[in-house]
Amino acid sequence: MKTNPPVDTSFWDRNRGTIRSRKGGWKIGEAVYCHGYNMLEEFIGHKSYFQVLILNATGRLVERRIADWFEAIFISMSWPDPRIWCNQIGALGGTMRTSIVAATTAGLLAADSRNYAQRTLAGGCQFISSALNAIKTGLSAEEFVLQQTAKTGISPNFMGYSRPVAKGDERVPAMERVSKDLKFPEGEHLTLAYEIEKVLLQRYDEAMNLTGYASAFLCDQGFTGEEICRIGTIIVNSGVTACYTDTIERPAGAFLPMRCEDIDYQGPPPRAVPDRR
Amino acid sequence: MTKTRDGEKRREQKFTNRPATKIWCETPAADNPYIAEKVHCHGYNLMELMQKRSFPEVLFLLFKGELPSADQVQLLEQLMIALLNPGPRHPATRAAMNTGIGKSDYNHILPVALSILGGEHLGSGAIERCVRFFNKTHNSAIDSLIEEQIKSAERPAQGDWHPLPGFGSYFGGIDLMTTQIATQLATLPGAGKALKFGVTLAEQLRPYNLGWLTTGVAAAVFADFKFQPKHSAGIFQLLCAPGLLAHGMEMLNKPITAMPFQNDEDYIIED
Repeated sequence: MKTNPPVDTSFWDRNRGTIRSRKGGWKIGEAVYCHGYNMLEEFIGHKSYFQVLILNATGRLVERRIADWFEAIFISMSWPDPRIWCNQIGALGGTMRTSIVAATTAGLLAADSRNYAQRTLAGGCQFISSALNAIKTGLSAEEFVLQQTAKTGISPNFMGYSRPVAKGDERVPAMERVSKDLKFPEGEHLTLAYEIEKVLLQRYDEAMNLTGYASAFLCDQGFTGEEICRIGTIIVNSGVTACYTDTIERPAGAFLPMRCEDIDYQGPPPRAVPDRR
Repeated sequence: MTKTRDGEKRREQKFTNRPATKIWCETPAADNPYIAEKVHCHGYNLMELMQKRSFPEVLFLLFKGELPSADQVQLLEQLMIALLNPGPRHPATRAAMNTGIGKSDYNHILPVALSILGGEHLGSGAIERCVRFFNKTHNSAIDSLIEEQIKSAERPAQGDWHPLPGFGSYFGGIDLMTTQIATQLATLPGAGKALKFGVTLAEQLRPYNLGWLTTGVAAAVFADFKFQPKHSAGIFQLLCAPGLLAHGMEMLNKPITAMPFQNDEDYIIED
């Protein structure tokens, strides 16, 4: 067999057996460092869990009210209804007597989705940022909506507007109240988000959903879509856990049992297994 | 009049009560509709499959809906052995070993490792793109591919370079084991256009210190089997699973000192 041309492996040799971290670590007998802060002295009892979570996700130690706002959005995006896809996985874990960590983690994996949870917030950021760029070229919100609709030829399906299963979103006024209580002013992304909503309500009877509101708000606060995804990694956690605890407290296998006939088989009819040729 | 938001209303969407499948048919027992007395996979009785067919054949049936030819099953079986164990240095295997050594619930070893294997760097996260690459390019001229994707591209200053899906450098060089595996698979009668195209491409990439990646070999075979690109990612996970599990389990009863925990001087906090 031919050998490889000679290669330089020094990059890998430098990292072999050595960990380099830009985030922090444990200096045994000295301190635990977290992004340059002394975690035990500066954080515990002084900063909220969400401030530290956001720091670890973005590298920025944000003011308390931002962290409190995120805590509210975490509440908004996870509730104990096992019809929701990720929550049902928690419930199935409970009925199967899976460990709570496995069931909740499985639900979190399921929520790594294009349709719901934190990735939609990133999609919402991308949408409202590109919309704002378009508006800054001189388009009105209505012209922008019509232009986008013309591209697809169908009613608009903007990330952050309309929603599966239901029309309208009661979580938006709840989060508007939180923003107001925390004294956040309305920024340019959110102003535009409302303008787009007006057009969509008028023309298509579709409103802004929580993703649309939160994405625009967070763009105004300087967060990127990628940062929001990182912060929101476990955003559905509590609802999944709740659905697990419901079914684990009932008899095993009792959650949505299915008869054979509850599956609609659409494959070929019975056939004999052919002998190998 | 300006329309304003009103409250939430459920949409008029019709959700099915009976999920549909073309794969599996369970015939209920006469006295208990929850218990199956017969099971068919794509029309074949499971008991008959157990008697007459091998595991790789039924695996192929499960995903393709038809039993494989003798040539196809030989190719699949050899690929299954080739991918059986990513090896103890692979990040997904190390995740399994960390789960084992940490005395985690052993039921989590495989899910933990497979989650990491889902990554795009030498993991199943790369497979869909690789299969699409073979589907699109297996009739392409290799010279122009190299001209466009290799000669005119800039190699990264650090780390490996994967300029084509399923092909690139491996620790700076060519992955020799993967090259041997691809070459052996390509000699089988079941080898298809994608795999043979890949062998030729890898040979022409050699002067650039680039070659086959594991994901490329797997994807070439999957493309030749006409597996769906997205399905192929999961099949790759499935085929790599045994080794991940075995290495994780091997660590279960060992002390925590049986895995490295870097000395403080080898842990560098950078600004």
